[in-house]
Amino acid sequence: MKPASKDIVIVGMNHRSAPIEIRESVAFEDSYVREALGRLHGYPSIQEGVILSTCNRVEVIASVSDASAAFNEIKSFLTQQRAHRGPANLEDHVYTFCGADAVRHLFRVAASLDSMVVGEPQILGQLKGYYDAAQQAGTVGAILHRLFHRSFSVAKRVRTETGIASRAVSVSSVAVDLARRIFDRFDDKTVMLIGAGKMGDLMARHLQRNGVHSLMVTNRTFERALELAAKIHGSPILFEDFPRYLKMADLVIGCASAAEILVDAETVEKVLRERKQRAMFFIDIGDRRNFDPRINELDNVYLYNIDDLKGVAEENLSERSSEATKAEEIISEEVQNFGRWINGLEQVPTITALRQRFEDIRRKEMEKSLKGSLRELSEQQRQALEDMTAAMVNKMLHGPIARLKGNDEGEDNDETLYVAALKRLFDLEEK
Amino acid sequence: MDILLLKLTAVVYLFATGSFLTYVFLLKDSVSKLSPWILFCGFAVHTLALTIRFFQTGFAGIVEFREALSFFAWLMVAGYLLVQLKYRLTVLGSIIAPLAFLMTLAAFAFGADPGELPPGLQSFWLPVHVTLAFLGNAAFALAFGVSLIYLLQEHHLKHKKMTSLMKRFPSLESLDRLNYVLLVWGFPLMTLGILSGSLWAGTHWGNYWSWDPRQISSGIAWLFYGALLHGRITAGLRGRKAALLTMFGFCVVLSYFLLGDQVFPSRHGGTFE
Repeated sequence: MKPASKDIVIVGMNHRSAPIEIRESVAFEDSYVREALGRLHGYPSIQEGVILSTCNRVEVIASVSDASAAFNEIKSFLTQQRAHRGPANLEDHVYTFCGADAVRHLFRVAASLDSMVVGEPQILGQLKGYYDAAQQAGTVGAILHRLFHRSFSVAKRVRTETGIASRAVSVSSVAVDLARRIFDRFDDKTVMLIGAGKMGDLMARHLQRNGVHSLMVTNRTFERALELAAKIHGSPILFEDFPRYLKMADLVIGCASAAEILVDAETVEKVLRERKQRAMFFIDIGDRRNFDPRINELDNVYLYNIDDLKGVAEENLSERSSEATKAEEIISEEVQNFGRWINGLEQVPTITALRQRFEDIRRKEMEKSLKGSLRELSEQQRQALEDMTAAMVNKMLHGPIARLKGNDEGEDNDETLYVAALKRLFDLEEK
Repeated sequence: MDILLLKLTAVVYLFATGSFLTYVFLLKDSVSKLSPWILFCGFAVHTLALTIRFFQTGFAGIVEFREALSFFAWLMVAGYLLVQLKYRLTVLGSIIAPLAFLMTLAAFAFGADPGELPPGLQSFWLPVHVTLAFLGNAAFALAFGVSLIYLLQEHHLKHKKMTSLMKRFPSLESLDRLNYVLLVWGFPLMTLGILSGSLWAGTHWGNYWSWDPRQISSGIAWLFYGALLHGRITAGLRGRKAALLTMFGFCVVLSYFLLGDQVFPSRHGGTFE
């Protein structure tokens, strides 16, 4: 027989475990997430599942019946995702978490402690978005529901109780900071946003807050470009036309979901001649790479992709260490709370079943006796007998149930052990 | 007296150097305002020394090599202080201050006696010509420093190495613009320097252009900087290439200033007679 049937597992990769090439090959496009969730749910040991796919991480969070089987299933699910991109050993880049470790990991992700830029607030919104998607797809049940809502409130706690967020710089701010080392001022600069990815949107807004007035927006589907342009007060440009407008752009942000190079080095070289070598800053911020890496080799052009921004982000690592310790403490506390809840999930039915079993025995024996040898008892005596047997059962169960509820704050693992033992001893598994 | 003051100048320049380097490398923000002031004090003492020297001998101390060095350092520091006033480029001080210190120090390594001004140089053209030429070169020296900072900043950005040192550097755009401004100032000054030299030669030697090695070398430098300026204005020459050319140009000018007259003996007075 298998141990506790409700395990939480996480299989995934992030900016530390896998280079961008691997991450982008596994990344899920927004439009495809629903279908992928369905496919994930189809695996035998997956009971509930959520897919998280951002620039910096791809993760599957699942509630499963058997952790080790689930690990393999999720890995093959991810491998299948990148199947058309040729073989690669994902094994080296994937991390797996189970049980309390998985809970801790998700809490850390939500609280932005695992982010490339620790404390950046975007990840929480992304997490909520992917949770909603899974809910719509019907792959979320009671456990993940609880887990995710806990993680949202943990993130909130960490944000309000520690200084992590106030010191944090988002990926956008890092990029703006870099842009400041290239450009003196932003109010005379023009930004071109290619693609309608979320990060690009955020990045453009951040630049606007820092003084950029002029903004061009292009997207393969022109409607999206129109929509986004209206939202962030930019001018929409037809996708076919954007190379012609490139020479007007000082900052170019790539956040298209297409898995192809949209701007190559030759184009940029030509554009530079047209703009008399005025400096250009390319920021490749999407899940996929949109800009030719060779662009960075040209004079007066600087290209940063999401991994490069990571390096810059490391800068503020040292500053936040004490706040991070505080945040980790909060998370440990919350992981324990959640552990109690999930154990409670097991305990409550076990306790009910145990009581039920004893009650059934008591009732059966009472009925047998009252119909047999104790037929002549008066109503009053019957009542007394009833009370006595009920009290006996209660007294006998009191100790075990108290222990099961973990009232005697001992070692954490005991409770699950007792649950398993009781189930076996009293045959509580049926039904 | 002026020698003593000059020594004091060197000491103050050394202090300024220390202060600037503390600001840039040890990241002490507290000295960011202090450093230019220390340099300014050095400049004040330097000015006093040059003034006393002028009144003692009756002619500007710019003929001997050591005097020329000291005078050049003085102009360069003046130029830096002006740039600092307008652009707040404290980090440039960390290049200019040590240069000024080394130049004043080197000045002591050469003969100390002011002596008499050679008759051939007793002309009002002397201070005019030397000041113009040196001002031009001081602008190029500053441009050299700015270019060096540009290249460092550019290198960091290209190679995605983020050090806190970078935070000390201004944006590439402003460095490039300042480089251009210095070129725009330096080139006309250099032109006037050559022109005044040529006019002086016309009155003194008899003809304005005699293909003297010094004339040829300044002509070449003038053409080089002219081409650089032209490239910047019309052909979009900027950034890294412009910075490299600026540095190269100054290195050539400097090495000729230091060694030229020994390699190509010239009728040109001053420095090495």
